[in-house]
Amino acid sequence: MAVAQAAGPIEAPAASAWWRGRAGAAVVVALAILIAFFGWKNQLPWPAWLTWNSLAHDLDNFQAWLSNNRNVPHPSIVFRAFNGVANFLDNLVGWLTSFFFKLTWAGTTALGTLVVLRFGGRRAAAIVLAVFVSFAALGLWDPVVRTFALTFASVGLSLAIGLPFGIWAGRSDRFQRVVTPVLDAMQIIPAFAYLMPIVILFSVGPGAAVATTLIYAIPPSIRITALGIRGVPTNTVEAAQALGATRMQTLLKVQLPLARRMLLLSVNQTILFALSMVVIAGLIGGQGLGAVVTSGLYSDPALALVAGAAIVIMAIGLDRATEAMANRTDPTRRHLTAGKRRTLHLYTAACAAGVGLAVGLGHALGAGSVWSRWTIQGWLLRYVQNALNYVQNPHTVVFHITDPIGNFVVQYGLNPLQSFFVETPWPAMTFGLALIAYFISGLRPAVVTLAMLALIGGVTNEWTNAMETLSQVLVATGLTLVVGIPLGVWAAESLRARQVMRPVLDVLQTLPQLVYIIPFIYLMPVSIVPGVLASVLYAAPVVIRLVEAGIRDVSPHPVEAAGAFGATRLQVLVKVKIPMARDAIMLGVNQGIIMVLAVVVIAGLVGSGALGYDVAQGLQQSLFGQGVLASLAILALGIALDRVTQGRRRKHIELA
Amino acid sequence: MGSSEQTPLAHVIDRSGEPLIRAEGVWKIFGRRADRIVGTPDADLPRAELRAKHDCVAAVRNVSFEVWPREVFVVMGLSGSGKSTLVRTLIRLIEPTAGKIQIAGQDVTAASPQELRGMRRHTSSMVFQHFGLLAHRRVVDNVAFGLEIQGVPKAERLARAEEVLRLVGLEDSGNQFPDQLSGGMQQRVGLARAFAVDPKVMLYDEPFSALDPLIRRDMQDEVIRLQHETGKTMVFITHDLPEALRLGDRIAIMRDGAIVQLGTPEELVGSPADEYVANFVRDIPRSHVLTLRWIMRGARPGEEDGPKLDVRTTVRNAIPAIVGSERPCCAVEAGKIVGVVDHEAVLAAIAGEND
Amino acid sequence: MKVRAGGLAVLAAIGVVALTASSAGAKQKASCGTVTLNQQAWAGSEANTYVAKNVLESIGCTVKITTIAEVPVYQAMADGKTDAVLEDWGHVPQQQQYVKKQKTVVDEGPNGVTGVIGWYIPTYLMKQHPEFKTWKGLKGKETLFKSPESGSQGMFLGGDPSYQQKDKTLIKALKLNFKFVSVGAEPAQVARWTQLYKQGKPVIFYWYDPQYLNAQYKLSQIQLPARFKGCQDDESKGGDPAKYACAYPSYTLEKFFSAKFVKSGSPAVAVLKRFSWSNADQNTVAGMIAGQHVDPDKAAQKWIAANQAKVNKWLGK
Repeated sequence: MAVAQAAGPIEAPAASAWWRGRAGAAVVVALAILIAFFGWKNQLPWPAWLTWNSLAHDLDNFQAWLSNNRNVPHPSIVFRAFNGVANFLDNLVGWLTSFFFKLTWAGTTALGTLVVLRFGGRRAAAIVLAVFVSFAALGLWDPVVRTFALTFASVGLSLAIGLPFGIWAGRSDRFQRVVTPVLDAMQIIPAFAYLMPIVILFSVGPGAAVATTLIYAIPPSIRITALGIRGVPTNTVEAAQALGATRMQTLLKVQLPLARRMLLLSVNQTILFALSMVVIAGLIGGQGLGAVVTSGLYSDPALALVAGAAIVIMAIGLDRATEAMANRTDPTRRHLTAGKRRTLHLYTAACAAGVGLAVGLGHALGAGSVWSRWTIQGWLLRYVQNALNYVQNPHTVVFHITDPIGNFVVQYGLNPLQSFFVETPWPAMTFGLALIAYFISGLRPAVVTLAMLALIGGVTNEWTNAMETLSQVLVATGLTLVVGIPLGVWAAESLRARQVMRPVLDVLQTLPQLVYIIPFIYLMPVSIVPGVLASVLYAAPVVIRLVEAGIRDVSPHPVEAAGAFGATRLQVLVKVKIPMARDAIMLGVNQGIIMVLAVVVIAGLVGSGALGYDVAQGLQQSLFGQGVLASLAILALGIALDRVTQGRRRKHIELA
Repeated sequence: MGSSEQTPLAHVIDRSGEPLIRAEGVWKIFGRRADRIVGTPDADLPRAELRAKHDCVAAVRNVSFEVWPREVFVVMGLSGSGKSTLVRTLIRLIEPTAGKIQIAGQDVTAASPQELRGMRRHTSSMVFQHFGLLAHRRVVDNVAFGLEIQGVPKAERLARAEEVLRLVGLEDSGNQFPDQLSGGMQQRVGLARAFAVDPKVMLYDEPFSALDPLIRRDMQDEVIRLQHETGKTMVFITHDLPEALRLGDRIAIMRDGAIVQLGTPEELVGSPADEYVANFVRDIPRSHVLTLRWIMRGARPGEEDGPKLDVRTTVRNAIPAIVGSERPCCAVEAGKIVGVVDHEAVLAAIAGEND
Repeated sequence: MKVRAGGLAVLAAIGVVALTASSAGAKQKASCGTVTLNQQAWAGSEANTYVAKNVLESIGCTVKITTIAEVPVYQAMADGKTDAVLEDWGHVPQQQQYVKKQKTVVDEGPNGVTGVIGWYIPTYLMKQHPEFKTWKGLKGKETLFKSPESGSQGMFLGGDPSYQQKDKTLIKALKLNFKFVSVGAEPAQVARWTQLYKQGKPVIFYWYDPQYLNAQYKLSQIQLPARFKGCQDDESKGGDPAKYACAYPSYTLEKFFSAKFVKSGSPAVAVLKRFSWSNADQNTVAGMIAGQHVDPDKAAQKWIAANQAKVNKWLGK
């Protein structure tokens, strides 16, 4: 073996100047835009000659035409088709509603509890029972039933559509490639953006509510089903193929049974997604708890809060129940023999008998459809109202703290930022943002950004509002990341933190945003702040969960190695774990922005103005043109932000 | 017995008839423009360049071989050599980009979906590295799965499954579920399932790689025993050279998708085709693999009456006889003397081991 | 297993029986059938809807309530999804389209309440600045109403986005140095100006009567320029701001029924046609519902009990 010659000392690479590299370039561009702002403030708003000015008016005329033509005695086939679908959906919801009412509270409770007991175990059944009892105690049984009916109708249809497509996406790579961007779009679009078209097509009512919920709930159904099918061990599927199974045999005998747990989890997620639309559904005629929240805001905020709590209770109950049922009926763990199967059949029959008994007793005792006597609603409302009175009183200590903070944030933070975005000359802002997108993410996202900005200014004529909304989104996102990433890291490192955070995060994700905006409207009564805060509260749990999962998933080996070199816990965190979890953190940023955008729109109802306000007003005053164009602007913002924060995707080709 | 000996084969392979498996010019390229690359000079680019130029990966390059009835044909290589891809192309679990494959006279590559299915059901079966069992069914149902797919009635297929379970020594485990069994037992279920359909050809994709080394040895014994009892033709994939030498009648060594050398264990160990193969076999004690045929020389007059040893005896097994005799030993094949082995030859063979 | 399952079922049934209480008996179906009333977001609308509901229920109707916003409800009535709206604030374009052109909605005349929309300030502010009695007194003093959102200008608080308003254009037409700030839906707007009221600070905002809060807070209206011929109120039409430079009209609030409902011949149609009450009535009930947080049905029943004579007139007795 040759002896290595001692080389000269290895030179350290030259430290690169901070302005080189992509981040530096982005900062330079931002500074350039800032200079343009100070130099030519307010002198170049989006020009009229670049705008499709008559579009809003044309759309309004289109809506009038639509209305005139659907209400004639003999409408055309297209309208009949839409009316038919709307009627079908309305009837479906109506049928489910009267079904649950006929069962009476007693019967429905028995049905829910016994079904969960049979398939999910005692603990889950106890939770379900508690949930039903609380509904009665809150005196909200009537709206609860309507929300149930709406949710079940939406979930049932979502699964009926999502399952077959999900199976297809799970088995065919090509179909998955085609369907993924469609699903992405369906989930990025904030619900407010497609409310107007749905109302036009289906008219207000439970049907429109179901249609809106479907758009939001189908993607998780398809995605998780596909994931489940693909999660079946490759060798097992290959074994079936190698034994000469047909595609149907492979699907029915191998893939579906082994993916069953994931399929039931997709049911779980579809239910939760559907429930999160309850309040929005209330705005377009879906009755139930959502309507109680939206109308309660006007006359009885305490009731709105209580209804919000009922929504959270329903969400948590359904979540725990379906999760328990998914885990317990997993055929790969259950090991059913013929004897056990017989026993289970008997068990099912007994539960069915129990339900029948309860229904009969309910009717016999005249329980009717509503339980009205033993509610604690009155007491609870008084309690909540007192809390609200405290919040609404501007002479309290709390107000003296929160009000100045709110004012300060708006005067020195949000307003200047808003002016910066709105008043910068449009060429500087448009091309500057596209350039920044290029430096952060590459050519394609930059092109998308440019196209979306052109769309916003040129087609929707909402440049000013869109820039306002953009500034709010960026502030809210910044706050979300500042709060969410450290909390996510903390949750990853500490079991105690996780246990404390989990219920809090669950509540924040299921409580309707309008409900937790209410206290902020009073404590920080400056228009933009409550909306921003609500966005942060809604988006932070997502970021926290993704960051936590990412860091916990980091392979233990490099962590061990770092420890063996004597690194402190903090060094391990900063030098090993966080860099290796970078993908998950980027995903957290991406999802955080999408969530923030969704809420900022609802926040338009409570002061954030801009695009959200235009959509809300468009919806409520049937200003089709304004509503659709503002929705389009929201969509454009969403697409651009999503593309820029998604990072680069790599293709992997696995080799044996 | 030592760790990597070759046991004398109980059967002789008759290579006079048609091969049971014939693969000609099989290519598999992963990537979008795969079929346009085959036949062009680009196909021979090294891996990194091909990926950079076309964003494609050539997993199997122009592989041809034949397998005769009752033969154990081993394909060996490191990870990334393309061996698992190759075995899957034989029954089109992965579609080959180019080439022709025939099994039992049937053209697999040109078969229609129904014909392919029929072939998979009746002519071939496969054993997998990660077992591929159905976790939600009992062991006996797993074994009967292939018959279930063929539509065999329940009673009949369960009876056959019980038979095969006895064959692999798991007759008491029929009612258990896969996750209640150890890794070795699970793979036996996989073996049973493959045997249950009575195939002509059996494919094994690294079946023991996921098992403990101690169990691996038992499983190799098991496979050898089963092969002797049933006489099945096997294509066996592995990355473990001692395993290949132990099981294979002929071994193909793959590297970067192409076969580097195809031959009997002795040929590989005795005359490796290039430095790659030589490196591979470097640590194998040659005396454990080489037979007398390798080190014998022509008989000189007067040497015909030394001790007689079968020509297929490994050098190592022959040492006691050779060392214990003053006269050179005669290597005998089918009753005739074909050569002579003396002390120098043995010493040379052993000395050459430490190069 | 069998015993345990059966036992569980019995236990569940017993538990249910123990918990079940008797409640209101089932409603009787009558020749009236089902009527769907639409309730708007504000408390006043809730008041008249629930009073009508209870009156109709007393003659045996089953009443459903929808909560569709002011403008889309016309389409809903045309589709037959809802039967009647008891308080409409004069949506001229919708009336043109649905009542005059399509004839799918019918105008059933006034409901007795007169609506007023305008610019309001707290009475304590009016006392401090008597010149604010008319809009001219605001000129030059707009910065008194500054807020963090309005920068150097004064803040004008706009109304709920679903209400008709023209203040953005009106401010421009009157050449006042106000920034039109919308804080969103009415609850948010109310939160804003009530907070400022409780702190004794100046605030100017879009407001209206009948509104239950007018009983709790002392507010004064600012006089806007008199109405002239050709005065515009619909901002979405655009055009010369000067055309908008007039006060809001006084609104005779009207009832609108869906044509399908009118044709159905239900006894409810006649009763609702006769429905009519005063601003004071509406504010009383609304005050109970939103101010004292009484259950709407109970508030309605209370008012009905105290005003049986009026109710009898509606019932045609």
